[in-house]
Amino acid sequence: MNSEKVIFAFFIVLALTLNFGFFLGGMDNAAHHNIYELFAAIVISLVSTILKVGDRTHLGAVFLATSLVADLQLIAAAVVWGFTAHVIGEALQGHALATVISLSGGALLANIISVVLLVAETMMVRR
Amino acid sequence: MQNLIFVLFRRLRLPLITLIIVYAVSIIGFVLIPGIDDQGNPWKMSFFHAFYFVSFMGTTIGFGEIPYAFTDAQRFWALLTMYATVVAWLYGVGVLLSVFQDKAFLRSLKTHAFNRRIKNIREPFYIICGYGDTGSQLTHALASAGILSVVIDSNEDRINELEADDFLVPPISLCADVSLSEVLENAGVTHPWCLGIITLANDDTVNLTVAVIAELLNPDLRLISQAETPEAEANILSFGANEVINPFETFASRLALALKSPGLYCLYDWMTSPSGMKMREPPVPKAGKWIICGFGRFGRTLYDHLDDEGISLRVIEQDREIRDLPSGSIIGRPTEALALTRAGIEEASGIIAATNEDANNLSIIMTAEEINPSIFCIARENQSKNAHLFQSANLDMLMQRGTVISNTIFAFIKTPMLGDFLRIVSRFKNDKANELVSRIIGVVYDDTPELWEICINEKDAPALFEVVKKQQILVADILCGVAIAECDKSKHSIALALFLKRGKGNVLLPEKNRIIRENDRFLMCGTKEAHQQMLHVVNNINLLESVLSGEDLPAGWLFRKLRENKKAKKNLT
Repeated sequence: MNSEKVIFAFFIVLALTLNFGFFLGGMDNAAHHNIYELFAAIVISLVSTILKVGDRTHLGAVFLATSLVADLQLIAAAVVWGFTAHVIGEALQGHALATVISLSGGALLANIISVVLLVAETMMVRR
Repeated sequence: MQNLIFVLFRRLRLPLITLIIVYAVSIIGFVLIPGIDDQGNPWKMSFFHAFYFVSFMGTTIGFGEIPYAFTDAQRFWALLTMYATVVAWLYGVGVLLSVFQDKAFLRSLKTHAFNRRIKNIREPFYIICGYGDTGSQLTHALASAGILSVVIDSNEDRINELEADDFLVPPISLCADVSLSEVLENAGVTHPWCLGIITLANDDTVNLTVAVIAELLNPDLRLISQAETPEAEANILSFGANEVINPFETFASRLALALKSPGLYCLYDWMTSPSGMKMREPPVPKAGKWIICGFGRFGRTLYDHLDDEGISLRVIEQDREIRDLPSGSIIGRPTEALALTRAGIEEASGIIAATNEDANNLSIIMTAEEINPSIFCIARENQSKNAHLFQSANLDMLMQRGTVISNTIFAFIKTPMLGDFLRIVSRFKNDKANELVSRIIGVVYDDTPELWEICINEKDAPALFEVVKKQQILVADILCGVAIAECDKSKHSIALALFLKRGKGNVLLPEKNRIIRENDRFLMCGTKEAHQQMLHVVNNINLLESVLSGEDLPAGWLFRKLRENKKAKKNLT
């Protein structure tokens, strides 16, 4: 029972699930998408990125890349949301809402790849 | 470089995660806790505002409670998160600083910077392994000649000393173990601009290792090594075309030369001493009985050389277990008058203090001078920190290991033909040597003679190269400098041609009426001004033609054409 591996896998899977949870729902209904969930997804994604840095293998490099992509997309989504809500001053709807959802969808794909790689790595090391 | 970044991030993992978690918790708190706006209505902070507030709170900037004053609940939360975020930041910065102070990390940084600098070198340079006495003297000499050196030493204090020292051309240095092939490779053994590698470690095995590595990595690279035992010397000479300098051998053979043939000794001394000093009459030791105090490596070498010259010797040595002690040696402490008297110091002509303790050497000399004030004193200086003491001791000759090696190596580097020349000259008889000495004095008077090489090819002497192709130039023509151009019609030489290398053949002291051919290599001797003048003459076609024809010729195209027409007209009539 390797606690480091547990923590590592925990954060990666948690990032994926939070991201998926935020993404799920209609693209035209802001009530389906909880801002707290986006916040949690960003935080957990950042933490899992830091956990992935420092692995010098090829697999580790791809892991890090997917994590960075997910971070980038989620932060972009948060920025668009914040911009719409504060700078423009209107509630999230229509075009802006769709943008936020699509960006989080992109991050979701990156997280899926990350988890697939995690599963593949686990299968390689059958213990 | 990537290694360094990975190491950095590995260490920063925990601090960064702490920071993110603390920030996240603070932001969530501020978003959830309700506030009151200026109208008294309840107001919820958005993520954007919460992030903004936590950012300037955590970095201790503290603009204020935006956009409305906080309720007490909010202030309560702010109090908690204030301490948490600031401590998290300090922890992160602390870990970052400790990583940068970590010795291993710093060393990797320095090595990386060093490797990059070496890769970017685009001028000729020498690699010097070992920065003791000899290394530092040699580096100074090379720097004042404008040559870049790369210095490696495994002792950190010595490298720090180098960094604090002043050089005309600052050397690139690294603290590393020179016997590792990786270090030598990074230092530029295979670099196209590397002129040679000079290894001056105190340990002969290290010198041998460096020689082997250099031979394997770059067989064409010139290697000059220091060796203190004849075994190491033979070993290093056995492969490749290396040059080995054994300081004890060098000094002992010079001393033997001084006793046998003072003319030759003068030559050797002048040609390997650093330039720029006023020429001094080298002290000439007297023949007779000599006493050697101390039978270590130096004493032994001295004994062999002087014995070959037939000098009568007495050895005083403290340790009676030393092997091969010559018969008639006195066992005793040479620092005391008793042993010296038993060795016959009253009738001796010279004494050599050759032990490896400076205090003992000085004591021997002082005692000897008390008993026999006119005795010729030679002492061995072991550590350069005692240089001042030895200067005040008024010795006739001083053996400084560092200086001997450094001067010899520098002379060989500056003028590679010197080695061949000295080898030939060493077979001269005393009268021939004296004749050569007087010829040199005739050219330089009382400055130290400067030696330089000149090669008649397009790169080094373009003007002369061109003229040589068209007309016949004699050696005498280029020896007179620019005095001609300044209307001084007396063609007296300012330099002496010592040696000519043409293809495989060597000519010693080429005669004045010898013809110069393309790709000849000359070894010249003269004053510093003579050197400069000769450089001007062989590079500037106008000056050269003035010197050759004896008159001032026009430089521009128009006047040249006019002159040619005038000459053609004169030839017709």
